[in-house]
This record gives sequence, structure tokens and C-alpha cells, in this order.
Amino acid sequence: MSAFVLALVVGALFALGTFLLLRRDLIRVVWGLAIVSQAANVYLLAMGGIELGGFETVPVLAGHGEGVPETTDPVVQALVLTAIVIGFGMTAFALVLSYRVYEEHDTLDASELGDRE
Amino acid sequence: MPPELSVVLAVVTAPFAVAGVTPLLIRSLGEKTGYAGAAVAAFCFALLGTQYGSEGTVELAWIPSLEVALRFYVDGWALLFALLASGIGALVFLYSPAYMHGESGLARYYAALLAFMGSIIGIALAADLIAIFLFWELTSLCSFVLIGFHTEDASSQYAARMAMLVTVGGGLFVLVGFLLLAFVAGDVVGPGTSAFDLAAMLDRPGEMQTALREAGLFVPVLGLLAVGAATKSAQVPLHFWLPNAMAAPTPVSAFLHSATMVKVGVYFVGRIRPLFASLEWVVLFATLGLATMTICALLAVAATDIKELLAYSTASHLGLMIAGFGFTSILGAETGVFHLFNHALFKASLFLIAGIIAHETGTRRLDELGGLRHDLPVTAFFTAIVALSMGGIPPFSGFYSKELLFEATVEASHHHDLGPLDWLYPAVAVFGSIFTVLYSLRFLALFFGRQPDSLDRAHRPPVILLVSPAVLAALTAVVSIDPELAVRAIVQAGVDATAVDPGTHEMHVGLPTSYSPAVGMSAVAIGSGVLAYPFYDSIHRSIRSIPRTIPPIGANWWYDAIIESLADDGAWLASRVHNGLLRTYATWTLTATCVLALAGFAATGTAVPTALAGIDVPIPVALVLSLAIVAGLAVVTADSHVAGILTLSILGFMIAIFYILASAPDLALTQLVVETLVLVIFLLVVEEIPEYYQVSLGRVARDAVLSVLVGATAFITVLLTTDARPAGESAIARYYTEHAVPEGGGQNIVNVILVDFRSFDTLGELVVIAVAAISILTLIVMRSRGDESSVATEDGSANEPRERHETRGESE
Repeated sequence: MSAFVLALVVGALFALGTFLLLRRDLIRVVWGLAIVSQAANVYLLAMGGIELGGFETVPVLAGHGEGVPETTDPVVQALVLTAIVIGFGMTAFALVLSYRVYEEHDTLDASELGDRE
Repeated sequence: MPPELSVVLAVVTAPFAVAGVTPLLIRSLGEKTGYAGAAVAAFCFALLGTQYGSEGTVELAWIPSLEVALRFYVDGWALLFALLASGIGALVFLYSPAYMHGESGLARYYAALLAFMGSIIGIALAADLIAIFLFWELTSLCSFVLIGFHTEDASSQYAARMAMLVTVGGGLFVLVGFLLLAFVAGDVVGPGTSAFDLAAMLDRPGEMQTALREAGLFVPVLGLLAVGAATKSAQVPLHFWLPNAMAAPTPVSAFLHSATMVKVGVYFVGRIRPLFASLEWVVLFATLGLATMTICALLAVAATDIKELLAYSTASHLGLMIAGFGFTSILGAETGVFHLFNHALFKASLFLIAGIIAHETGTRRLDELGGLRHDLPVTAFFTAIVALSMGGIPPFSGFYSKELLFEATVEASHHHDLGPLDWLYPAVAVFGSIFTVLYSLRFLALFFGRQPDSLDRAHRPPVILLVSPAVLAALTAVVSIDPELAVRAIVQAGVDATAVDPGTHEMHVGLPTSYSPAVGMSAVAIGSGVLAYPFYDSIHRSIRSIPRTIPPIGANWWYDAIIESLADDGAWLASRVHNGLLRTYATWTLTATCVLALAGFAATGTAVPTALAGIDVPIPVALVLSLAIVAGLAVVTADSHVAGILTLSILGFMIAIFYILASAPDLALTQLVVETLVLVIFLLVVEEIPEYYQVSLGRVARDAVLSVLVGATAFITVLLTTDARPAGESAIARYYTEHAVPEGGGQNIVNVILVDFRSFDTLGELVVIAVAAISILTLIVMRSRGDESSVATEDGSANEPRERHETRGESE
């Protein structure tokens, strides 16, 4: 599959995520974080080489037989799976943290919060 | 006779081991811990004594993959230095309990002193460049702790910081020098031998020098090592930390800042002398040493405090040793080794005597002291021996080694063509020596003349305080009477190890019996010193007035100016970078990362592969991915939180479908579950916060530029890295695929990897999730609990009537 297109998608997602990271609304910052980690996951997967889905390419073996076929890289998929779960934990934590900040300070404006120090 | 590895290891590790248990010793022994330290030092001294006469390398593997080993090289020079360190260490530990009586923080004091002794013995014996560097920096650290012993005293902290910055900074120069040296040595010592093995390099001095010159690294390595040695051994213009280091307790000054640590530079210069001996070597070290010797002797005459006088005098004598080693003749080696030995004995003793004076009179000011021989007659006797030795007055020990320096300066022109330096070196040596005589006499004069009226009667020092200086003075007296004894015992072996052409010369010292240029030079120096002594006060005042009229002439002024501007610039930079705004941090971090990454690509000349530019994508994938990007755009432009959350979910689900298409069903499953959860949590939270949060967009243009930069960097990185990926299946993927069924018993390879092959990683991941969950729970639950209690305590009285009213309402 074309690495060029994948690179374009990852680049676009990184750009959109960065733009959100720089917003003053904390909730939008959390969105930015989520988008950037999605983009990073796609990048990781792309590094392992992407094969269009099919019975032979999926890293699930047909049976307990002797012949072992060549599948897409399972190591990268295991890595990305871990990354998705960790990313979930991070997003949830960042979100609740922002919520708590709102409760404490009655604002979600990162610049106002910065000025208070 | 080869050395014993077990003995050498015991000597190096014993002080560290005891340093570790010092707090326990303090608890059981109290102030008597010093005697335990003396026992450790004596133990090391005795063990080193068993290795007397041995020579060779022993090693213990440490980091075999990097060829770094705890390699020790024992020879005369190493033994001389290690014996001095442990011997004087024993005397200093013996002296400490009485001197430090009633001080707090003794555990820190003794632990640092012991660790210091271990490090200094380590430097003396280590033959591996990495080990030498580690011990080198350890001595600097211990010195920092000991100079800053009086933690509540600002001047003590200032001095400790200064010593740390100068000596540790110098250590970094040594490290770079070592790495370059190892880089060259790899080819010279050949395979099978570590490139960090200094002993192997010293076996092939000629080849090493040729290889260094061919690589064009001879002068850089020489310069780097010289900077390191100059910082450690307080050579001009890096000498200024040593007088400040006198803020340390006096036993520390005697041990670290006169007898041992400051000699590490000299020791090391002597050690590498055979490798580098050349014209450059002579010009660099002879000039450096003689300049230090003269300038610091002048500054010693300008000193107003007895410890300051001794500190400058120490720097001056270190200059003498460096100058000695700077001359490549055998006389140079004799000067360096013999003077290092003599100086350690007399200067440690002088410092301990200075400690007694300060302890018994309560002052260290030169102009407040005098006529002490009436109150301290025994001390006066010992002082006479060691002070005259310091001044180089015959027949005291310092005379012999200084005579060797004079001979070396005269003979220097026989070995190298030095031009005008030919006569300048002897002249400067004599000029500096005049001031050495002057300040030595001044120190001795503390005990003579009239006692100032302001000075109270000095108490007799306790005998235990006198033991250590007495032993050192007695040794100085022995060397003075029979210098050949010291030469035969240890100095000759040290000279053989540091000589450029070892084993060709037998060293002889003694009182001169006939005229030679060196005798004439000694006569001029001592004669001028004695004649000038009546004018000491006016010389003292005129030297003091120089830095007052031109402050930048003092190295200390430069240090203060540089540190102050660094601190100011640091504060300014921190206020710019660390301003409390999230977007500032993000901007700096992202910009720096992008610029560094792009610069890295540009520097390595990586070209973006054009062959990939084709758009060869199946239609379903293209559709899903473009939907994802559209969703992303919608998130960015969403004007309400709910709209943003929903579009973010669309993006997530599109990525999940992409995973399905890209043969990753497990990822797709996980992504679907996670996206659903994220959506639910977002919706729950968004209930509690304003739907339309009015925040102006701010600097959209600047953010857009940065976003495009980050996106472009990501784009280029993905292209380059995917292109550089080796084709086909990786070995590790193959391994997991083949072993999934036989070893993991599962057909889904990703699952088997996660729960079987790499199950500990998965456990770690679960811990992360658990920690996040606990934190989230804490953030939400603790808040409401805290609210209840604060309402009850703060507004309890105000709320009471209404609560009662409500209760009544319920009952009705």
C-alpha cells in the first residue's frame, strides 16, 4: 500500500492535533492529545508494512499444522495494541484532570490558569 | 613480583565500605569514630606495604562489553602516592576527633573523608581510563561535601560551589581527552587489549605518540588533559578555588587541599609524562608550572590569614612539581617525585599546626599573631623544621628537591631548543623562590618576636593534637638529615615509573660540595629572601594593592562575573521559557523537536524517496482515511464541545475500520472498545462543563504555521522511515509466528505475544491503566468529600438554620 498516502494522513493528523494542542480551551487540548496518539499508532502500524486485509495476511494461524505462513508483522500490532490502551488511559486521565481544574478554578482557559501561578 | 588482586581490591574498597557504615559507627563510638577511620587508613597503609616492590597489572571485569575493567596498575609511583594518601589519612583521622570536638554533622564528615581516601587510592592505582575518571570525579565530590561542611555558612557554600564547578568542570576536559586517547589507542595496543588500558599505552609510549600525531590529536589531547590537571592542581589561572577551599575544617585542608587531592593533577601529569614527552610538553608544563609557582608565591606573601598563606603556598609548590615534570630530563622526574613526597610531609604538618594555632588562640589573622613560642614551645620546634623545609633552606628536605628543579631548568636547553625560554626558566624559578623564602620566614615568625597585646595567652594544645604534626615533622627531619634514605625507600621507584627513559639513571641527592649553577641559584634565592625579609610589610602591601586597582587581574573576579551573568541569563531564559502557559511549553517543545529532526535529516543528506510518490491505494482505504481527516477537520472547527466529541469519535471509528482493512483485527477490536469508552466518558464530563466555552481563538496564524511544520515533519519522517525499513518479514516476527503454537499454544499471534511471550510488558500496561483509574477516582471522589467537610467546618453555622428547616419540611 502506498506509503505516500499513509504519510500524508499521518502528517495531516499530526498537524490537526498540534493545532488543537495549542488552543486555550483545555478540553480541546485533550482532543489534540487524542488525535496525535491516533496518528502515532497509524505511523507505528505503517512501519510494520500494511497489507490489505485477507485470510492469509491476518496474523492468526489457521491451525496447529506444520506450515507457518508469512503474515503482517504481529510484533508491531502487539505494540500498537498496547499503545491504544495506554492512550485510552492517558486521554481519560487528562479529561478528568481538566474537569477537576474546572471545578476548582471555574475556568478551562489555559492562559488564565497560567496567569494564576 | 606481580601485585595481588585481592589485596589491591581490599585497599580500594575498605574505605568505601567503612564510609557506608559511618552513621552506625557514630551512633556507637560518637566522636571517637575518627580513631576507627585512623585504623582503616592504617590498615590500607599496611596492605599497601605488603605490595612494596611489586609491579604489574591486575584486573577485575566490570563492563566486559565495553572493555571497561577495574584494572589496577601497581608500580613505584602508584605506591608512593597511595602510601602517602593512606599514611597522611591515618594521621588526619587521628587529629580529627580532638579538633572537631563538639561539632555536629560528624557522620557526614567522616563518611566523606573515608570515601575521599578510597577514591584517592583508587586514582593512584587505577590503570583504566574510565576508572581513573570515576575516581577523579569522586574526589571532587568528596571535596565539595567537605568544603561545604559548615552548611549554614554562606562563604563556605560559595567556596564549595566554586571548587565543585572548577574541579568537576576540569574533570570533563579529562573525560574528553581520555575518549580521544582511547580512540587512538585502539589501534596501537592491538586487539585483545582494551583501548582504555593506560598500562598498555605506557608500555608503548613511542608508538602512542606517533599515532596521536598522525591522527592530529597530539596537541588537543595534551591540552585537554592539561586543563584537567590544572584545575585539580590549582594551576594559574585556575588556582583561585584553592584559597577559598580553606573554608573547610583544617584537617580537611591538610589532607585534601595540600597533601593529596590537589596532587592528583601532578600525579597524573607524572603518570602520562612518558607518553607525551616532547617540546610541546616542555613549553606547556614548564611554563604553566613556573608561572604558578611565582604568581602564587607572590599571592602567599600578600595573604593576611595563616590558612590563606598556606593555600597559596600549596598552589605555588604544586606549580614547582608541575614544572619539574614539565622538563623531560631525568632531573625533571626527580624534582616532581621528590618534591611531591617532601611537600606532602611538610605541608600537611604546617596545616595541622595552623589548626592548632587557630584552635588555641581563636584567630587566624597574621597581624594578630606573634611570639607564640612562649605558649606553644613544642609546636614552635616542629614548625621550625617544616617551615624551613617549605622555604627550601639547607639542609631541610625542601632544599634538595628545589635544587633539583634549578638543575632541571639549567639543563632544559640541553634537551630542547627553547630560544629565549632557555634563560627565562631559571630566572623565573629563582625569582619565585625568593618569595617562597619570604612567606616561609613569615610563617615561622608567628612564633617569634613580640606577642601582640590583643592576643590572649594561648592554651597548651592537647597531646593528641600534637601527635600528627609531630610525626610528619619527624619524618621531614629524617629526610632532611638523610635524603638518600627516602630516595632508596620509595622515591627512586617513583622516578623510574615517571622517567621518559627509565632505569638509566640512579638518583643521588645531598648537600652540594662544589659550586654549580644550581648552587648559585639557591644562594641567590635564599640570600635575596633573607635580605628582603625586613621589608616584608611593604612588599605585602604593594602586592595587595595591585588587584584592588585593577580588579580584572584576579581570576576570582572573572569567576564571579561569569557565574553572575550565567545566573542572570538563566533566570531571564527561565522566565521566557517557563511562563506557566501550556501553549508556550508545547510551542517550544514541538518547534525544537521538528527543527532538530529536520536538521538531522538535512545533515545526513537523507533524500526523500520520490519513487513512493504514486497514489496506489485501494478505494475502501482511501475512503476511510479521507473520512478520518474530514472528521479531524471537523473536530478542529467544532464550536461546541458536544460537536467536537462526536466528530472525534468518528475519527476514532474510521481508524478502527482502517485497522480492519490493514489486516489487524485485534487492533480494530481494541480501538472499537476504547473509542466507545472514550465517547461515554467525554459525554459524562461534558455534562458538567459549559457547552459553548467562549475562548477566543488567539493567534491562529502562528499556531497554523507551527501545526503545518509539525505535520510536515511527521510526513517526511514517515516517508523516510517506511522507505528505510528492510523488506520482508523481520527475524523477530518470524520467531513469534513460528513459536506461537508450539510454545504459546495459541493461533492468534498478537494475543500470544501479549499474554505469553511478553506478558510482563502487558502486566506493566495493566498497572498503568490501574494507576490511571485510581487517579481518576481520586480526582473525582476526593473532591466531593473535601467539599462536604469544608462546608461543614466553614459554613456550618450559616447553613444550620436552613438544614433544620429542610428537615422539618421532610417530616411534614
